[in-house]
Amino acid sequence: MLANVATKNVLDRWKGILIGAGSIGLLLLMGMSVYRNVDLGLYTSMPAAMRSLVGIAEDTDVGGLAYGAIYASYGALTLAALSLSMGSASIAGEERNGTLGLLLGNPKSRTSILVSKATSMVGLTAVGTLVLLAFGLLSPALLNVELGDMHITALAFHMFVISIFHGFLAMAIGAWTGKNGLASGVTAGIMTISFIGVGLFPLIDALKEWARIFPWYYYSNSEPALNGVDWGGIAVLIAAMVVLAVAAVVGVNRRDLRGQTTGVSLIDRLRTHPITKKVADRLAGSARVSHIWIKTLTEHQGLIIVVAYIEFFIMGILIGPTYTFIDEFLLDFADALPEAMLALFGGGDLSTAEGFYQVETFGMMAPIAVMVVTIAIGARALAGEEANRTMGILLANPIKRSKIVYEKTVSMIVGGVIIGFATFAGVALGSVIGGLGMDMGNIAATCLLLTLLGLVFGSFALALSAATGKPRLSIFGSIGIAIVLFVINAFLPFSDSLAGLAKATPFYYYLTGDPLINGMQWGHGAILTGIFVGLIALSVVLFQRRDLRQTG
Amino acid sequence: MTDQIAIRAEGLTKHYGEVEALVDLDLDVRRGEIFGFLGPNGAGKTTMIRTILDEIRPTAGKASILGMDSHQQSVEIRRHIGYVPGDLAMYPNLTGRDTLTYFANLRGGVDWSYIDQLAGRLDADLSKKVGDLSSGNRQKVGLIQAFMNRPDVLIMDEPSSGLDPLVQREFQKMLREVAAEGRAVFLSSHTLSEVQRVADRVGIIRHGRLIAVEAVADLRSKAIRKISVYFDAPVDGAVLEGLPGVRAVTTENDHVTLSFDGQMETLLKVVTQQFHVMDITTQEADLEEIFLTYYRDEEVNV
Repeated sequence: MLANVATKNVLDRWKGILIGAGSIGLLLLMGMSVYRNVDLGLYTSMPAAMRSLVGIAEDTDVGGLAYGAIYASYGALTLAALSLSMGSASIAGEERNGTLGLLLGNPKSRTSILVSKATSMVGLTAVGTLVLLAFGLLSPALLNVELGDMHITALAFHMFVISIFHGFLAMAIGAWTGKNGLASGVTAGIMTISFIGVGLFPLIDALKEWARIFPWYYYSNSEPALNGVDWGGIAVLIAAMVVLAVAAVVGVNRRDLRGQTTGVSLIDRLRTHPITKKVADRLAGSARVSHIWIKTLTEHQGLIIVVAYIEFFIMGILIGPTYTFIDEFLLDFADALPEAMLALFGGGDLSTAEGFYQVETFGMMAPIAVMVVTIAIGARALAGEEANRTMGILLANPIKRSKIVYEKTVSMIVGGVIIGFATFAGVALGSVIGGLGMDMGNIAATCLLLTLLGLVFGSFALALSAATGKPRLSIFGSIGIAIVLFVINAFLPFSDSLAGLAKATPFYYYLTGDPLINGMQWGHGAILTGIFVGLIALSVVLFQRRDLRQTG
Repeated sequence: MTDQIAIRAEGLTKHYGEVEALVDLDLDVRRGEIFGFLGPNGAGKTTMIRTILDEIRPTAGKASILGMDSHQQSVEIRRHIGYVPGDLAMYPNLTGRDTLTYFANLRGGVDWSYIDQLAGRLDADLSKKVGDLSSGNRQKVGLIQAFMNRPDVLIMDEPSSGLDPLVQREFQKMLREVAAEGRAVFLSSHTLSEVQRVADRVGIIRHGRLIAVEAVADLRSKAIRKISVYFDAPVDGAVLEGLPGVRAVTTENDHVTLSFDGQMETLLKVVTQQFHVMDITTQEADLEEIFLTYYRDEEVNV
């Protein structure tokens, strides 16, 4: 399997692909079995724009609902995320690990390495697609669900194409810059905004046509599960991929390879300038390294700033005024929707501003945003230092292992609070600008619960990190658990007999009490805090017990 | 005597599943000495160091540093030690000075004028980001980090990797000063020449087992020398073959070469009594070679 660059890459990555695609497949099976018991009379009369918001196709039956809700959104996002992480790592990842020089010491051109990496990225994404397809075909058969005229293969094909599109985008950015984090971050950002945009733009007359600027449009707009493959949309994506592939080849061949992972930041420049040196030195130097938690926080500053910006500006401020543009008809119609249906998207009632914010911001995007930050900090907290081989020298100092866990926890709390506060400030401003008159105290309460939710999953990542010392396992394990719990919380209310189980997920204690309308749910907050504290205590025990890893 | 012991390992054993990384290792390192810990790659040197530093926990046995239990009192121990890990990695985005500030903050009570002095001696540039430094220059930051709190025990895993010869010499001088002040140095290395220059005693580890602890002077006396003797006429080298310590005799007319690890006096007596010697050259003891020979012998015995 180590025969060449492509197969080695496959060897490195196949587990992640199988686990990612497999868990989405299992979710489909679960979702379909829950949907089986639901009365679907209402969905058939939903207006098209509303369906696009929630990702459900016209004339659908049980199968369409499950495919729309699980495959078309979570499935495609997951598969695309796996592709983009392979794409960004293809050149930039080897540079970060310092292995690209070694690789190029062999008689291989940069282009051939890039081609090998691209081949394995496409191949592995295809494997992931096949796994999803297998689940997609088997689930209805197992559950005796009648699918009618559903095009599962077409949906899978669309998912495959949109996924490798993001893989090529990340590869091109990585090839030009050599920065793995930048490549995956920017691509994930584009993917997220494009996903949101395709859901949101069709709701507003003036923006309808503009939805075409998003890559996601060419994946989802034609509703492949219902209408089969949309070759026009696929052609647009393939053309874009060809351009990106060429750009990647040009990019990797024209620049100097990066020897190390450091870049020159603004603060570095300020430190060398005589006028700003003193202040900048304090900020970047002595202040940054004064405590473990501050240093940890500065390591994640880029991520925190970007996520806080998205939460504040896009998910916060922009959503408010957008609400005032939404079709009156939609709002009237939304009144008639059953709660169980909207529960899937955060339980918002679209006829109110609070409900709209709940669907658009708090339902899915805000939890993702805060969890991206807390899980990143938690997962890398201990395992990151071990993978970077700095834990040994850190622990050569007279500090207890528990102190490191606590300090890392503090940085996670601060990170989560920053995202919570950015969301609060954005939503509050959005409400004021849009004249929506939402209750500030309730927004604050929701953001507090949001932060606590993030900390629960961040501390879960920390516990995994403490138990295993493996950063990737900690990150993907936490994300996997979060997706599963999110979907359980969203689906189980559909089934009378299983609804109680939703209480077993942290998500239940976040929005179920409608804090945007009812204010702070102290009991729920206490439960989330309790889980968080418990997981931190567990992390301390786990970390103290085991041998430190020497390498990642 | 216990208070003279800097590091003590008693029956220290570490298994990774089936792999025996350390086996029943007993060892004392005294204050005021530089102890060289020698072994080929993968012999268990780093495992030993990581165990006594409580990074990993022994399967059996125990260790103490300055009389304190390596696990129970690990935090207190680390107040008194300086440590350079093998394959040193630090935070690439921090400058050398930031890095040292960070560790100084964690440690407390570090004297900056001493850090500047150390940086001067090692010719270290502390203003650059660690990630932008060459491995040797990065190593200097790691060394300063270990020396800066004037530790009672210095534990160093392959510390001079990447250092140029001039800096190596200064570093060795610094080690000798530490020992002269009654502090202890535990120096792991796979290069004998380095250990030979600074260490008072060496421990030799192989396959996780400590196979010998010797004073460097004694080890040197085991030295195999390559000796060439030139005579005024062709001789038969065979007469030398039976002598204790003589091996691999080759004769070429009036010129005999041999390997020798016995008493030089005995050899000279025999040679000068029987022949007329014109010249003798002996190659300086190649510890590297002795070490390998010695090792091979030990391996047979183990």
